Amino acid sequence: MKFSFFHLMPYPYLPDDFDEAYDTSALTFPNKHFDPKLGSQLYHRYLDELEYADHVGFDGVAVNEHHQSAYGLMPSPNIMAAALTRRTQQARIMVLGNAIGIRGNPLRVAEEIAMLDLLSNGRVDSGFVRGIGWEYFAHSVNPTRSRSRFNEAHDLIIKAWTSEEMFEWYGENYEYRYVNLWPRPVQQPHPPVYIPGAGSTETMKFCALHRYTFMSVYAPTRVVRLWFDGYRRAAADLGYVPDPEKIALSVPVYVADTDEKAHREAEPALMWLFRRGLKQTMEMVNPPGYVSPGSLRGILSIDRKPFTALSYAELLADGYAVVGSPATVAARLTAMHEQLGGYGQLIGLFAIGPATREQTRRSTELFASEVIPALRHLGVEAS
Amino acid sequence: MPAVSGIPTEGFLEVPGGRVHLFRGGAGDPLLFLHAAGGAGAWHEFHELLAASFDVIAPDHPGFGKSDDFPDVEAMDDLVYHYLDVLDALELERPHVVGASFGGWIAAELAVHSPHRIGSLTLLSAAGLRLDGHPVPDIFLMPPARLAATLFHDPTPAPAAAGPPDVDAILAAYRDATAMARFSWAPYLHDPKLERRLRRVSVPTLVVAPDDDRLIPVAHAHRYAERIPGATFASVAGCGHAMYFEKPAEFADLVASFAGQQSTE
Repeated sequence: MKFSFFHLMPYPYLPDDFDEAYDTSALTFPNKHFDPKLGSQLYHRYLDELEYADHVGFDGVAVNEHHQSAYGLMPSPNIMAAALTRRTQQARIMVLGNAIGIRGNPLRVAEEIAMLDLLSNGRVDSGFVRGIGWEYFAHSVNPTRSRSRFNEAHDLIIKAWTSEEMFEWYGENYEYRYVNLWPRPVQQPHPPVYIPGAGSTETMKFCALHRYTFMSVYAPTRVVRLWFDGYRRAAADLGYVPDPEKIALSVPVYVADTDEKAHREAEPALMWLFRRGLKQTMEMVNPPGYVSPGSLRGILSIDRKPFTALSYAELLADGYAVVGSPATVAARLTAMHEQLGGYGQLIGLFAIGPATREQTRRSTELFASEVIPALRHLGVEAS
Repeated sequence: MPAVSGIPTEGFLEVPGGRVHLFRGGAGDPLLFLHAAGGAGAWHEFHELLAASFDVIAPDHPGFGKSDDFPDVEAMDDLVYHYLDVLDALELERPHVVGASFGGWIAAELAVHSPHRIGSLTLLSAAGLRLDGHPVPDIFLMPPARLAATLFHDPTPAPAAAGPPDVDAILAAYRDATAMARFSWAPYLHDPKLERRLRRVSVPTLVVAPDDDRLIPVAHAHRYAERIPGATFASVAGCGHAMYFEKPAEFADLVASFAGQQSTE
């Protein structure tokens, strides 16, 4: 089993009237509520937290891309990854991922990931995401083109990384007369690719076809099981069994010395994440054409509460988050390993909403020293 | 033989790229009606009133209602060629063309491109323009209640849905919205080149606006009337952007009296 420390870099300082006055913390939440001085301090604190995770033995440190929101402050995850390349030694630097569905120029992503691969001496993992629905509003990209843009950008980037001959590219969305990547990446044939999935059957099949790592997003364990099974089924249809490490559970994790202390500290942090950070309207999340009819039918058929309606007890009971002492967290993740039919990577959100620097550091330290050794053996036997 | 009131024929028309679903009813000069973002797949009271004076043809746009997806119809310019295909397939030389909102935008683009194929043009609070100081709110970001409040002068509260949501109805609405987004996400509900091309519209034109349009400000209709040579302007009082859903008789009267004076020969 591999373990990664995932950071969203949230902006926790919301106004007191946020709950009543705003229907979301993204897209239309006014940026007058962003204090650049505090934001600068947050960036450095958050990078410290990622570097500390490398220091205490996490296998990977992960960043991602979001736009126009207090939920995550990384419009360009590649900038944060660059900052990490020279301040981390061992950990994989995981960009989970670049939102290639909304990029105007995906060749730029191929270039930047190649740069990161050189800077990190081959430690980069390259996630690709379509971008959340609201980001199609934010960057004025037609969501009905999302799947087509994502697929084409992916194909272009892979070819740019792997081709040693100059080529031209004419697709539905992009046109390049000269693709001739300088620099080329260190890792051959190219950096490992990660794809987050949220129930889309197209994503499961795409991921299985290319043998990429499939990672979950916020969901109850019973739903993540459906997704992992969908990915395994898509692989089976292609005649193979995915390596356990190609299945990654992504979940918020909070560890403290005792269960009581963990819950006291984690509850406000998790409630911030689900009630405020993830506060978004249906229209923002699923703009027209963003999901296929088949995927929409699947989403509608699964009875799920909106994030903001979940209680703390439900977050824990349903598997949206894992909280407790090291022994409790190890037992819970072991049980979820069973419930999910196995997973070979845990991508933990350890920096949660308004949790303090000290709380996050202690949680990271306890997880590395006590939970990782207890779980390390999981996930390897299936290979 | 007079048309049988209230019973339009419903059918499919084969054109390049797929099948178009349409209603057709009434007798008289042919009148092509191009529906708004809402309104596909239905023969409304407004159509029925027009059918008293015209041979009303009401197709669903590509990707809307029961028409096929027509994936090659990617943008407004393709929609214009699609409707030229429809006119050809129906063997309509110069029908009256009436379009509401999004359908009005299509009608305006068609009239710019091929005025010789149109007998008269009626734009009902057409989309298609972008005016500084008169923005169109984002329909894609509106929750249903806010959308209703935006579209209607006098929104009547929708009855609370009983039981579990109707998945097929949700999927059908999502499909219509997806087609709408295909043509109008960006540039949002307009074509930056349309306004300067409106001088090419050389057919009798009526521009109609409801007086309480909270979606497409009435200034847009005035701009259409200014830019289209010889166009006349009419207003419907006490009505929102839902137009023929809110005041079907008033809209049908205006359209019928205008188009009835124009020759399609």
